[in-house]
Amino acid sequence: MVYDLIIIGGGPAGITAGIYAARKKINTLLVTKEFGGQVNKGHEIMNYPGITMTMGVDLMKKFVEHLKNFDIEIKEGKNVREIQRAVQEFNIILENGEQFQGRAIIIASGKNPRPLKVPGEEKFVGKGVTYCSICDTPLFKGKDVAVIGGGNAGLDAAMDLTKYANKIYVLEFMEKMLGDESTQEKLRASGKVEMITNVATKEFKGDKLLESLVYEDKKSGEMKELKVQGVFVEIGYVPSSGFIKDLVEFNKAGEIIINPQGNNTKTPGVFAAGDVTDIPYKQIVIACAEGAKAALSAYNYLQNK
Amino acid sequence: MAKIKVFSTSSCPYCVTLKEYLKEHNIEFEDIDVSQDSAAQKEMIEKSGQMGVPVADINGEIVVGFDKEKISKLLNIGD
Repeated sequence: MVYDLIIIGGGPAGITAGIYAARKKINTLLVTKEFGGQVNKGHEIMNYPGITMTMGVDLMKKFVEHLKNFDIEIKEGKNVREIQRAVQEFNIILENGEQFQGRAIIIASGKNPRPLKVPGEEKFVGKGVTYCSICDTPLFKGKDVAVIGGGNAGLDAAMDLTKYANKIYVLEFMEKMLGDESTQEKLRASGKVEMITNVATKEFKGDKLLESLVYEDKKSGEMKELKVQGVFVEIGYVPSSGFIKDLVEFNKAGEIIINPQGNNTKTPGVFAAGDVTDIPYKQIVIACAEGAKAALSAYNYLQNK
Repeated sequence: MAKIKVFSTSSCPYCVTLKEYLKEHNIEFEDIDVSQDSAAQKEMIEKSGQMGVPVADINGEIVVGFDKEKISKLLNIGD
């Protein structure tokens, strides 16, 4: 079956695109690895108009309820492996081999946590190494842990950890912590946190579970080992765009370059929206608006095709 | 009747999703907060070989994360 539109992604951009497409009665399929994306992993959200304060996961639950209110086909828990251009349409191939055809595509696949790419990291994912502090901080009650990254995300993770962990190291690559001074003060006041700057994380070690990390003191070149049972990697996000290849153009950060007027990419019929694109200011409200724009542009494209 | 244990914490989004999914289908389960129970956390790590939550123990079959396909298969839930 050929859909008019296939939306890839189930975060704010993809869900909003789905809502707009459904209201335009476009025959739409939405494919996503998971609903909510980065927002699920966020702390309190206090800048979404109309909602004074909410948790990311609660807001996304409302988004999904809203979407499912419409007549739209959804494939959840699916990763896209590849998009191919066919004669009249596009062919979406999932990692499990399933294929779907769409006359237009909206890519709203967002971003994923940036890995450190050091030895041992992959081996200990879920065995001490984590990228979701809000999910996993309670697992480290009474344990010694490290946070990699001294930006606001790292400091927030460390702040969460003060409720559970015994000792928290925060490792920052630059010479100074980059996160808010007020959070740094709170961390110092907790008496549990040691901030170490100008260091590079080099390796994770352990048997079945993580037991330690090795870092380099960049000034002296000395290697040091910290005994930790948990590591929270908080060094930003990378666009989830590996499956797209040559249908679109990317900037240096790996984001899809779009025309902001209509969310078009270089390939007619392929649109993109939200954090996976080069639109600045990665915010929920902006991703929503971009998703709406992409859906309306796709609608116009399908009308005129 | 299947015997189901869910190892979780109060803060993890997929734990909430998993538990709601089971409740939606009227499936009873034992809800274990591993952040409050270190013996249970040890049991979960031994059974699943990792420390991420949620972990579901469905009649001895271990499912890590909210793997809807696997869980619905083990419990014969049709969509």
